[in-house]
Amino acid sequence: MKKTTAALTIASLLGSTVAAVAEQCTNETWNKIQERGTIVVGVKADTKPWGFRGENGDLIGMEADMAKEVADTLGVELELVGVQSSNRMQFLEGGRIDLMIATMSDRTDRREIVGVVGPNYYSSGTNIMAPKALGIDEWSDLEGKPVCGKQGAFYNQIIEDRYGAQIVAFTGNAEAKQALRDRKCIAWVYDDSVIAADLASGNFDDFEMPLTSEDDNPWGLAVPIAERNCVFGRFMSGMQYNWHQSGDLIALEEKWGIQATAYLQRENERFKDWLAE
Amino acid sequence: MTTHSNQNRFAVLKPIDTTRRMSYDPMTLSRSLGSLPVWTPFAALAVAAIWPQIVYAQTATGVDPIGALWRWAPFLITKGFLFNILISFLCLLLGTLGGLAIGLGQISHVKPLRWLCWGITQLFRNSPWLVLLFIVMLALPFELTIFGNTFFFPAWIKAVIGLSLPIIANISEIVRGAVASVPTTQWEAAESLAMTRRQAMWRIILPQCFKRMIPPWMNWYAILTMATPLVSILGVEEVVNLTRQAIEAEDNLPELLAPFYGFVLILFFIYCYPIARLTLRLERRFAVKL
Amino acid sequence: MLESFADFFQQFAQENPRWNFIFFYEEKQAGKIWTGLKYTVWLSIACVIFSVIIGVIGAWLQGSNQRIARAVVQGYIQLFRNTPPFVQLLFFYFALGAFTPTYSPDGWLEVPIISNVGWAIISLSFFAGAFNVEIFRAGIEAVPHSTQEASESLGMSRLQTYRYVVLPLALRVSLPALNNNLVNLVKTTTQAFAIAVPELLYQCVTIWNDYPSAQYPAMLLMFVVYIGMVGILVFGMSRWERALRIPGYGK
Repeated sequence: MKKTTAALTIASLLGSTVAAVAEQCTNETWNKIQERGTIVVGVKADTKPWGFRGENGDLIGMEADMAKEVADTLGVELELVGVQSSNRMQFLEGGRIDLMIATMSDRTDRREIVGVVGPNYYSSGTNIMAPKALGIDEWSDLEGKPVCGKQGAFYNQIIEDRYGAQIVAFTGNAEAKQALRDRKCIAWVYDDSVIAADLASGNFDDFEMPLTSEDDNPWGLAVPIAERNCVFGRFMSGMQYNWHQSGDLIALEEKWGIQATAYLQRENERFKDWLAE
Repeated sequence: MTTHSNQNRFAVLKPIDTTRRMSYDPMTLSRSLGSLPVWTPFAALAVAAIWPQIVYAQTATGVDPIGALWRWAPFLITKGFLFNILISFLCLLLGTLGGLAIGLGQISHVKPLRWLCWGITQLFRNSPWLVLLFIVMLALPFELTIFGNTFFFPAWIKAVIGLSLPIIANISEIVRGAVASVPTTQWEAAESLAMTRRQAMWRIILPQCFKRMIPPWMNWYAILTMATPLVSILGVEEVVNLTRQAIEAEDNLPELLAPFYGFVLILFFIYCYPIARLTLRLERRFAVKL
Repeated sequence: MLESFADFFQQFAQENPRWNFIFFYEEKQAGKIWTGLKYTVWLSIACVIFSVIIGVIGAWLQGSNQRIARAVVQGYIQLFRNTPPFVQLLFFYFALGAFTPTYSPDGWLEVPIISNVGWAIISLSFFAGAFNVEIFRAGIEAVPHSTQEASESLGMSRLQTYRYVVLPLALRVSLPALNNNLVNLVKTTTQAFAIAVPELLYQCVTIWNDYPSAQYPAMLLMFVVYIGMVGILVFGMSRWERALRIPGYGK
């Protein structure tokens, strides 16, 4: 009962924001980007290979490449800013960044704060990285066992409630993975695509991703909420549509050594140009 | 002072050497840091250079921690550690201004003001730094509109505010203690020259306190600098956070943990060491007998 | 009565969406807070006890005739005092944690003999202990040599002298400094958050991550609890200080 009320409140809130926004488009950020000749994009700095620091400390990765394409299309310079899960939405809200492409799961509560536009450029589910030696093959195997995770991930509680795992949440992924290596927990729960990338890196040879991913959740890039239904938001929708259609995202995935996701294939099919043979 | 050696002869009757400091010494950090021999920072540097070699030799997994550290060191220092220094400077600035105001408030003759300032001091002195940081970080809005002007608070500015709260409280105590340590005769002398309380404070008492406050003030600066890594928990991109990112970029190899974090420890040590030495030197020089 | 208490806060949360005192009416969240409180108190007590023991032993070793023992203690003090406790914690848990003996209930999970709570206790005790050694040493130095000579002339061994004569006097001298350090230690226990020790701060952060509406209430609770704990400690310590004061000294 309580939940329904909450959902209704959120829905009505959401509805009213949309209505309010649709009325007036100031295109403030969009114009600012043109004036400055620079677009400031927030990407992750600690999530290899989506956004991380290269040899000289510059931000690189799949999402950094996407940001570069946005800047090139706009014909402006690109400035990348490292953001974290805990501050990415505030950075966008506060105007520190113009656009956020930072491995963010597209959730209802987040849409209230930032302007997420479709079609979602990526998707991932929740899975675990566990040692091959343990032979875990069911989510229920986690019951009562310590599972490492990251503070602030929305599925920590879900895994705890649904399967009775004991979540040990660290402040960063580096610590969580180190704790798994030190055998302080039986698994590390995180986004399946991130786990796949780690497994592919060759540094986790004794580990596997044994379960069926749950709670598949598309990722969303975001513009300031006021510009979701204005030029900037529409432009980013177009960018994402083109990325999917041209297969650029699949190419980027390959470039950065990420295991191919079914989601990108599906979207590529879905947006196929009907005139192309 | 002359009777001191005589007292000790009746040791069983008077078992305590009363010349010893019997209260908490707030300068412990500077005292221990500054009492290290001059070569320690250099030795620390040498360890920083050799340690990864040893680790490398032990593991021999084809990773080269020293090479990785060498590649990342300029970035970690210029983008990370210097930022910690900037944070510490700003905190010190805020802390000193706030601490001076609250400290003077603590010795005010206006009772409610005195109580209020005492309360603020006790509150912030006695709460954990991390709790204060979290509260400021989450409770303070990201932007604030005052008279139509919108101020944007990036995370690190909020971290500066959060870290300076305990500094304000402790500097307030330093100010109160320093003023209390000036003999009452000074106040009376000022009064006899027909000075108001404010005049006496600013022209007679505070100038004398100033020298006394410098060493503990610098000691708090060292403590503060060592506390700056705490802001990494809140996502500010300072040295510990960038170190984490560097380790992530180097594929999260466990061999890198000790050299990288060790490097950070040594950075702090090398920075704080000369400050501690200077603090002790100033303390000795300023130890004026009134 | 309890029912209406829970109802009140449930009602309150509905009327004030930013003030959802969820831990007052939902059992699971209340459990988290209790666990957090338990760990914080347990961590504080354990660290206080161990750090005092470390201080006493260290100060005794510092007065020993063996140069090596003195050098080791000196090295320990410098190491732990001059580096941030936050980084020490990470170091202990991740760098040393890999080398602790373990037992295994299921073939993979190597439950270390020392858990993360254990490491937090060790790390924080050593950190505070480094200060305690110096504090006790200052106290011991305040006990005149002639007092020790007197007890030696009564046929006491060095250990007996330390145990029955020097330590009781030194403890009284060092109490103010000791208390300050212990209060500091209790405040520092929050930093165990970094290695996922489920103490109060960790639990509160978890709660407001899961329920953003509970952020302010959780922060308020946390603040009140810590201020209360430190307050009780400061009060108890000053009572103890007064009780142990050597007549004829101090103010």
